[in-house]
Amino acid sequence: MICLLCGSPFQSNPTWRKLILYEIEASACKRCLSKFEKADTKFDLADFKGTRYEGAIDSVTSLYSYNEVMQSYLHQYKFLQDVALAQVFAEELRHLFEKKEGIVVPIPMYPEKLLLRTFAQVDELLNSAAVPFQHLLAKTAASEQGKKSKKERLEASPLFEVTGKITAQTFILFDDIYTTGTTMHHAAKVLKNFGATRIEAITLIKG
Amino acid sequence: MNEQLQQFLTGRIWLREHTPFPREVIDAHIDSGHIHLKPGIDTRLSNFYFWQLKKSVCNRCHNTNPNLFHTFHCARCNQKCIYCRHCIRMGRVSSCSELLLWNKEHARGANGHVFEWNGQLTPLQQKASEELLASVQQNKSHLLHAVCGAGKTELLFPSIFASLQEGKRVCVAAPRTDVILELFPRFQKVFPKTTIHALYGGAPDQEGFAELVLATTHQLYRFKNAFDVAFVDEADAFPYYADETLRLAVTKAAKKDAAIHYVTATPTKSLKTINQSILSRRYHGHDLPVPRFDSLWGYTRQLNRGKVPTKLQQWIEDKSKNNIPFLVFLPTIEMLENFPGNLPRVHAEHPDRKETVMQLREKKIPGLLTTTILERGITIENVHVAVVGAEQKIFTSSALIQISGRVGRSFQYPKGDIVFFHHGITHEMDEAKEAIEGWNKK
Repeated sequence: MICLLCGSPFQSNPTWRKLILYEIEASACKRCLSKFEKADTKFDLADFKGTRYEGAIDSVTSLYSYNEVMQSYLHQYKFLQDVALAQVFAEELRHLFEKKEGIVVPIPMYPEKLLLRTFAQVDELLNSAAVPFQHLLAKTAASEQGKKSKKERLEASPLFEVTGKITAQTFILFDDIYTTGTTMHHAAKVLKNFGATRIEAITLIKG
Repeated sequence: MNEQLQQFLTGRIWLREHTPFPREVIDAHIDSGHIHLKPGIDTRLSNFYFWQLKKSVCNRCHNTNPNLFHTFHCARCNQKCIYCRHCIRMGRVSSCSELLLWNKEHARGANGHVFEWNGQLTPLQQKASEELLASVQQNKSHLLHAVCGAGKTELLFPSIFASLQEGKRVCVAAPRTDVILELFPRFQKVFPKTTIHALYGGAPDQEGFAELVLATTHQLYRFKNAFDVAFVDEADAFPYYADETLRLAVTKAAKKDAAIHYVTATPTKSLKTINQSILSRRYHGHDLPVPRFDSLWGYTRQLNRGKVPTKLQQWIEDKSKNNIPFLVFLPTIEMLENFPGNLPRVHAEHPDRKETVMQLREKKIPGLLTTTILERGITIENVHVAVVGAEQKIFTSSALIQISGRVGRSFQYPKGDIVFFHHGITHEMDEAKEAIEGWNKK
């Protein structure tokens, strides 16, 4: 195999798991993968105490923390549009979702942005991990999240609208990065308003 | 016709999304036939018995390696789309992207070139320079085979000036950004009235039509039929010799009948030119330092145990004590990172490589551990060099010659210690030593 990140050839060790059970073939070498830093598991949701978003999300899980290597990974994946890089974390995402139960809902993009980028980076991560998902949300009006302060973000009118049928069960929201948590909370709130009982949030990166 | 657009696109093959011109301007020039459109990727199907093989070619970088293409469902063209991962850092080229080529008369530069250089060439340099000039004027490819530290760049000046005066567009290409950054101010000084562009990854936008282009070989992916004369400096350097697309890039960037000239210290056998000249003396006239071999049996095991082999330790201590700056070349990044002690170290992914080398030059640090990244292009006064694991594959004879060429480059210190610590002597090591001794005899 050729490492997607550094381009050098590598061999992935055969494992019993691979032989008997299903495992997605590694697409990056050990040396490159070791530079990503696992995120600590504790999440502080205290920021949302007292706001109308309190309790919208029941649990948050992130796989990696945002370090320099992750920054350059995201740059190549999202801005240089290297779709192939979606495969790098495929096995780990698959493993994580295996243990969860509920309907997976990726955070959507604006249609205009999708045309420019030519692919939905959140969906592609799930596709490569062979995780089935449903598009139940759509973004409302065009407004850039990154340029707002946290307070502005929280008080903004709903970012998402529901496009599908929401039943009383668990939903798993998925996004590439969790920074302030506003996006996730907005999405979770909308789903709960429409009758979802439990919302779990999963992101690849904790910003 | 938009003149700026003509100047920009002449000789280029450029991704539409990356042009600094408004959409309507480009559309108008496409309609009038000034711009020719080419798809980003060509995919051909061929039959191999029962299989259908798909072969893709990137029309910008000419990559055909199937490992470096990726297929995905594209939201823009709403079908399966292939993109090239090889040249992705210059903006992604996919099946549905459009490449622009200038299809009408080429832009021309102003013709008021001035040559301001009053340096002196040694008689040997003079001879080589004249031979090169003769080849350039006859449009015959020329190989300038010059030892490390011979003063190669100066030799090019007369040939470049002569070409510019004939209204020709000239390109000087080198595989590494460091080299381009070093050449740019020198060329600006020597050709003050010429529009010169320096192109490398992350270079700022430069306006106008450049009669003289200094570019990394990578940047030549974005040129087609542009140059009347091309010089490839350090033609033996990584990644130029290892990457076929880079060699194609140079031929593609030059016009069909243009001669390509090479400058190198260690020509590979595949480099074929009509004429040749050899410059076997350094500009200061002294012999090249000849490497000595010293055994360092089982160094990997000792280093893994966290111990620097005694001989190497002595060598390092000896240099530090006598206040001589030194470089230790190591074969792998792992070995570099795990090397015991707290000597500063640099490798390709190191963010402040330049600063660390500067510190060595200013004698703020005693020495430096490095990988082959520093094998060429750097000059440190009175530096002594050790290669650890000289028998390893990465140290080819040309790499070893280049590494040896770091020593004794200045007038004041024309000598210096160059030692290959090894676990067994290889042909490559012998070849390097023989080549250096051969030049000294000439």
